[in-house]
Amino acid sequence: MQKKMKKVIEVKNLVKQYPKLTAVNGVTFDVYQGEIFGLLGENGAGKTTTLEMIEGLRKPTAGEIKVAGFDRYTQLDQIKHKIGVQLQSSAYYQFLTLREIVSLFCTFYGCDIDPISMLKMVDLEDKADSFINSLSGGQKQRFSIIASLVNDPEIVFLDEPTTGLDPIARRNLWELITKIKSNGKTVVLTTHYMEEAEILCDRVAIMDKGIILALDETHRLVEKVDYPLSVNFIDGKIDKAELEKLKKVGKLTQTLGKEKHFNLRLQKQDDLNFALSIIIKFKPESLLVGRATLEDVFVELTGKKIEE
Amino acid sequence: MWKLFLTNLKMILRNRQALFWSFMFPLMFTVIFGLFFGKNTSVGSVGIINQSDSELASSLVKVVKEAEVFTVTDIGTIDEARDKMQKNSLSAAVYVPENFSKPAPSADNQIRIYYDQGNAQVGTVVVGFVEKFLNQVNFQLAGTQPIFTVVTEKLSDRELTYFDFVLAGVLGLALMNSSIIGIAVGMSKYREDKILKRITTTPIKSWEFITAEVLSRLILNIFQVAVILVIGIYFFDAHIYGSIPMIFVISLVGALLFQLIGFVIASFSKTTDAAQGMATAITIPMMFLAGVFFPIDSLPKWLYSIVQYLPLAPLLRVIRGVTLEAASPFLDPKNLIIVFSWIVVSLIISSFRFRLSDE
Repeated sequence: MQKKMKKVIEVKNLVKQYPKLTAVNGVTFDVYQGEIFGLLGENGAGKTTTLEMIEGLRKPTAGEIKVAGFDRYTQLDQIKHKIGVQLQSSAYYQFLTLREIVSLFCTFYGCDIDPISMLKMVDLEDKADSFINSLSGGQKQRFSIIASLVNDPEIVFLDEPTTGLDPIARRNLWELITKIKSNGKTVVLTTHYMEEAEILCDRVAIMDKGIILALDETHRLVEKVDYPLSVNFIDGKIDKAELEKLKKVGKLTQTLGKEKHFNLRLQKQDDLNFALSIIIKFKPESLLVGRATLEDVFVELTGKKIEE
Repeated sequence: MWKLFLTNLKMILRNRQALFWSFMFPLMFTVIFGLFFGKNTSVGSVGIINQSDSELASSLVKVVKEAEVFTVTDIGTIDEARDKMQKNSLSAAVYVPENFSKPAPSADNQIRIYYDQGNAQVGTVVVGFVEKFLNQVNFQLAGTQPIFTVVTEKLSDRELTYFDFVLAGVLGLALMNSSIIGIAVGMSKYREDKILKRITTTPIKSWEFITAEVLSRLILNIFQVAVILVIGIYFFDAHIYGSIPMIFVISLVGALLFQLIGFVIASFSKTTDAAQGMATAITIPMMFLAGVFFPIDSLPKWLYSIVQYLPLAPLLRVIRGVTLEAASPFLDPKNLIIVFSWIVVSLIISSFRFRLSDE
């Protein structure tokens, strides 16, 4: 599918070298028009640095970047008109109202829009004459996203848009991001929430220590995992001989120190059927069969668990 | 850029606390020094106990009162005067006895002056004053002229007080504090809040952003200078002999210099707290060493040879040249050359070091 679509961002062999640290070490990827592209990784994986080099905030040490057909090094001004940027935990002017901030940022682009109509998109029209500090965390993030849309950009960059938000506010934001996509804009976001990447992103690049470990459509990434099937069960009566049998067909772990809780990872449907036949005999208190998640992909690729 | 400039002004007005202190701090100095050295240049308060009805006595009282050197009050008795001196509401008292200058042989021709040892200076001045008066009377009565006399001449017929000196210093102080601290802290705060970074993602140019910031602060400086001058002149009788518009022009040049120093500080400090500390470490010593309150040529020679080049020092010399002597700032271009050299140096440093976003 993506072969037919237009590339809006092309990144080739991007490197950012600091005196004591290689933050980004040869990253290559393309972003297609109209998709939500996610950079997934732990804190310090190089996501933000990659994003900020594309946005023109940091100078790359090496590598090529093209945004909306323009060269990052020579045509940054044109690029700035085509993109909207929401920074990680960015604050805005303390002594300006939301309405004033929107219209001020608008003049930076030489455009003229009605701030209220922008604020309405995120249900903040009641707050038009309030200062930013009177907003809740979720409202601030929503406002921050709206402020990145004042120039009607083709590409929107969102750096950890939902970090630190409660579950309701996060779902609210997911809806907003989907709405932006349905307006025909391309969204590039970073996150360290697996769930978020899985739900929102059309394609995901998993980053660790400055390189991309895997990049594909989200569902394909999940399929590619070595053990795509997963069984969770709670059973205190199962005997050791049977557990040994299970260990032969897949990876069996006791979850986080709870003695009765088990997780079994399997490669094939046959193995799953076999394992279930054993588990069912002992009448488990709980039994859940599912597919691997993006988190499993991540753990498999990086060999560690992501911290929230 | 125009809109950003107006918006900046709006923000300056809304930041009530910062605005309040940018006016309050210099005004505090103006008022304090004004109360000490402004309008009322009286040496001290003197009481007069006149119990004589002679012509000579009343002309003495008249002369003392009209001299406007002391604050003079009439007092009934010596005991009352003693009491007041003990309570420190009176520095000295002049007692004219009842039968002073009467032709009778019982006449008491001695004027007594009582003074508090704690206010010996006032006592000396009163004694000198009264003695001079009596000498003249004695010469007149004797029908002779004094052979040797002293003639005093002021170098300039302009009246100048210490307050006039300090007022120009306070002007420079206000400009320095609000510009250096304002820019250093303001820009660091913007950086910490990632506002500078956010601005960089938009097409607006760095120089447009900085120009809008600088211009809006210069407007604030114009008001600061105006308020200080108005309070100084109308409430404390400060003397300004030079051209007022010239004072504003020089003030703005100074403000520009201090804003650039603010940008240099902001480009070296990583946090707002660090910027605040660096700005204070630069402004407080400069306040004393560049001559806000005292003439710096009384400093040890080696120190003076250094501190006379501090950014505030030549600026104050130019401002004082205008306010106290009505001199043209171009008369002695050395001061302006020092000021502009600082402008060039800090402009070069900040244009190389100050970035809206880090690399």
